[in-house]
Amino acid sequence: MPRQLLAHYPQSGSRYDELLSSPWTLRPHWRSLFDTLARARPEQMAERLGSVRRQIRENGVTYNVYADPRGVERPWELDVLPLIIPPDEWQQISSAIAQRAELLNRILLDVYGPQQMLEEGLLPPALIYGHSGFLRPCHGMAVPGNIHLHLYAADLARSPDGRWWVLADRTQAPSGAGYSLENRLVISRVFGEQFRDLRVEHLASFFATLRDTLTQNAPQGDGPPLTVLLTPGPYNETYFEHAYLARYLGFPLVEGSDLLVRDGKVWLKNLSGLRRVHVILRRLDDDFCDPLELRADSAIGVPGLVDAARQGNVLIANSLGSNLLESGALLGFLPRLCERLLGEPLAMPSLATWWCGEEAALEDAIEKLDHLVIKPAFPQLRIESVFGQDLDRKERAALIARMRARPHHYVAQELVQLSQAPVWDTQHPRRLAARAVGLRVFACASPDGYTVMPGGLTRVASEHDARVIAMQRGGSSKDTWVMTHGAVNTFSLLRRSISPSELVRTGTNLSSRVVENLFWFGRYCERCDNTARLLRALISQHIEHGDVARHALMRLCQHTGLLPDELDTAPTAEIEAAIRSAALDARHPGSLAAGLQQLSGVAFSLRERLSIDNWHIISRLAGDLDSTPADLGEVLQWLDQCVLAMMTLSGFALDGMTRDQGWRFLSVGRRIERLQFMSGVLRHALDEGGDTPDWLLELADSTITYRSRYMTRPQWLPVLDLLVADETNPRSVSYQALGLADYLSRLAAQFGAIESAALSDAVADMLALRADRDFRTGSPHLLDVLQRLSSSAFALSEQLGLRFFSHADTQWPGTLQD
Amino acid sequence: MTLIRYHVLHETRYVYAHPVSLSRQLLHLTPRETPRQHTLNHHITVDPAPAERGTRRDYFGNLLEHFAVGSAHEELVVVAESTIEVTGQDEAGPPVSPAWEFVRDRLRQVGPAPLLEPSQYLYASPHVEPMAALARYARLDFHRGRPLFESASALMERIHRDFEFDPEATTVSTPLETLLREKRGVCQDFAHLMIGSLRSLGLPARYVSGYLLTLPPPGQPRLVGADASHAWVSVFCPGAGWVDFDPTNCVQPDDQHITVAWGRDFSDVTPMRGVILGGGEHTVDVSVTVTPDDEPMAPGT
Repeated sequence: MPRQLLAHYPQSGSRYDELLSSPWTLRPHWRSLFDTLARARPEQMAERLGSVRRQIRENGVTYNVYADPRGVERPWELDVLPLIIPPDEWQQISSAIAQRAELLNRILLDVYGPQQMLEEGLLPPALIYGHSGFLRPCHGMAVPGNIHLHLYAADLARSPDGRWWVLADRTQAPSGAGYSLENRLVISRVFGEQFRDLRVEHLASFFATLRDTLTQNAPQGDGPPLTVLLTPGPYNETYFEHAYLARYLGFPLVEGSDLLVRDGKVWLKNLSGLRRVHVILRRLDDDFCDPLELRADSAIGVPGLVDAARQGNVLIANSLGSNLLESGALLGFLPRLCERLLGEPLAMPSLATWWCGEEAALEDAIEKLDHLVIKPAFPQLRIESVFGQDLDRKERAALIARMRARPHHYVAQELVQLSQAPVWDTQHPRRLAARAVGLRVFACASPDGYTVMPGGLTRVASEHDARVIAMQRGGSSKDTWVMTHGAVNTFSLLRRSISPSELVRTGTNLSSRVVENLFWFGRYCERCDNTARLLRALISQHIEHGDVARHALMRLCQHTGLLPDELDTAPTAEIEAAIRSAALDARHPGSLAAGLQQLSGVAFSLRERLSIDNWHIISRLAGDLDSTPADLGEVLQWLDQCVLAMMTLSGFALDGMTRDQGWRFLSVGRRIERLQFMSGVLRHALDEGGDTPDWLLELADSTITYRSRYMTRPQWLPVLDLLVADETNPRSVSYQALGLADYLSRLAAQFGAIESAALSDAVADMLALRADRDFRTGSPHLLDVLQRLSSSAFALSEQLGLRFFSHADTQWPGTLQD
Repeated sequence: MTLIRYHVLHETRYVYAHPVSLSRQLLHLTPRETPRQHTLNHHITVDPAPAERGTRRDYFGNLLEHFAVGSAHEELVVVAESTIEVTGQDEAGPPVSPAWEFVRDRLRQVGPAPLLEPSQYLYASPHVEPMAALARYARLDFHRGRPLFESASALMERIHRDFEFDPEATTVSTPLETLLREKRGVCQDFAHLMIGSLRSLGLPARYVSGYLLTLPPPGQPRLVGADASHAWVSVFCPGAGWVDFDPTNCVQPDDQHITVAWGRDFSDVTPMRGVILGGGEHTVDVSVTVTPDDEPMAPGT
């Protein structure tokens, strides 16, 4: 046996060792993989480690530790070595977990139904009536197929004697199945041969079962059943997994604001209108799902959702209220409930856990505090788990006082020595280290009872604390290989090859929220660009003491709200402070910094659709804000960067995005914004009168074109021709207005007529402008056209919002007469 | 035994700064049927007319009306009108009740045949968190071995004595600790405080929302809490069942109290609770008029 690999592997600890049965003796199911590692050349292992890192980076696998729009995302941690579980052992785990899922489902049926188990004294009323997760509005609701738990997970640990124990149940929206899948894709590529030779069970059929059971139990009507995956949004710590599972299962990924309830049914808002939703696979916590009947302060739920479920018009998986069973306080009551409800003993024990709401248990727990971990009895309590042995005298007394004050808030759980598994030591070319591990396993409902995913998420404790397994605290993960005696089911949900008939050209069913975000992405990009150009022109004039131009620009800035009104006679220092604030102060509404913040927020919500390069550009600009530029010269440099960055973003949109409806809305947003800006600027310049200002061409980025055409200094006639009438100048009013009209006709072709008479009239009058009559200051025609273009652009924006984003203008089927 | 017939008019008017495009509301405005109370007539009107509307029973058996208005509006008016018959108590004297510790211990018993219905009202709820300070306050009246009814009456009297009615002192979200310290509030606060004190001793107590007769009977002082929704407390007394106490007025509710709904606390029986889209700032105006049958209704209310 090659001793080098194990030279630093702890072999005689008090833990169960997954790899070795005794010092220097491998467990048989590890032999094959161990030999591969022993034979591998250092370059080969380096290549494997590199491949793991590369795949995680390229697939964008992340776990948000601190959800932050600036993108503090931690790359997913994955050890190259899987945890291997032999067939017979898996058989026991699998049947125990299926039994437990069945039991918990039965308990939910009882608690949200007849409450017979409370009547019989098998469940203490305190654990149900005193649990904030017991949702009274959901009592008495029938669940389709009598299934509360569609997806269930249990956290397991192995004690030194080799037995598996359940540490905790995950019943409302278990996370980790998607990460398991991702881990599998990565590791099965790195160890392809070994994966095949060991006959490792595949995961795909588990997900197919989940999908099929949801569809089978879906309510009927309004077309084929549509299942959506409901996420709290990109700030959630496991958002990557939501997006990943949605793609894998073929479900649209939606947020609460994508859905609305009408007529007791749930509808998905998309560009073409409302589409009925039959099934919601949710990753939103129970009480956040409906602000009407549950937590009133939830901004991410769907008002009326509980009633839609009550009426049987939508299947919610897992059922609302299933959070109740995540209480550690229940664990001690499961053995008797199992005997009573299933008529058989509980196959896998739970780690000894006492609910301190029982007086005797409280006193016991306080006495044995050193050997216990104290946890919240109900997950809603947001109490940190504490190891009794970690506390000094003072902390200990404080904890005891808290426990005595509210004993029902706490459970005490025995400590378990977690088993250890080998991990590859990335700091050395040829060395195994050991880490404590726990296993999260998953079960899903099927027509024949619960099916257990043959695999799972192996969670690895950090080097520093072998007692805690938490991704939040720097833990890592492993793929989990379950071996089989039989043939491997190689069914796959990932299509290997796509036939010509399956080719997809346009993104259909774009959700209204995504399109709305794209629309505002377009608007904010353009708005930041305009604001940056305006401030840049102002600062240049300010520095060069171009007094006439400076005053005209200041008035323009005051007009648009960038600068305060009473600034004309202010001392220079005050003016400069106001200009700095207009650029850099995000608390000043309308400032460039505030615009960038809005842009960054919208881009964050769009990160599934925007390439990472977009994101880099925006976060870099926002990052620059932290090191505030000191003088106006530095501000000017930063403004240059902003203008450049906005041009780059617009280049990405032009060059990198497919021309689907989403892109069209982004472009409409840009054009509306630019049309409003340019017509506003022109009106202001015309109002100021006098000579044609240089800054007008500068703001419109048309100085070079002008110079190449006319060898004179700016004059009204040629300038207005270039900025109003020239349809080839992408900054001209005509270019924007005609383009906008064109987009609208394309949208109308797909979605039906869009009310835009005001815009068409203004465009017609714009085309009727005559150079000899109108391209001068004081032309009422020109001022009128500019004014109407601007106001019809504003009205159009509002109208698109109502029609395509909020659907507030869709009529209800009928208004009841009182 | 008396039998009094009442008309109750309960009007809620919301005025919004901007149009509301969608409004969903849940109403606890329908009086319950009880052994002492019977509804002859009940009707809720909503303006503007809702697109959806329905009625169901909530977890606590109260009638819950729900509606959705789907057309833009800047004002929402909900008027609940009821005609109710209330039967007064017999002059039988206070009920015989066991020592309060007996009730507490019975509810603590783990095992078969638990007292499930009272247990519903024994634990923390959104506005009422049991705590040691409240238990200490209650223990001033809950002496060892004292019958539950007598102790609860004494607690009600103490709250009435210690606390001052002050509509400006609290909001819906004022915690009980603050209330216990400041000793000022409204009927809802006194009800929550009494419920919290009882639950902190391990005794079940529920929150009752309802109405109070507006006009003072001749020779008696006017009762506080008139012309608004009222709230009081119900205490579980084995033998007698649920017994009502009104700590705001220091009386046992009789034929001048009309019960609308009960739950663990205010949050379970909020008269009107909803979600709107749009609206901006709003003002709300609530008026309640309770008129005995033999008096004419004031015009225009």
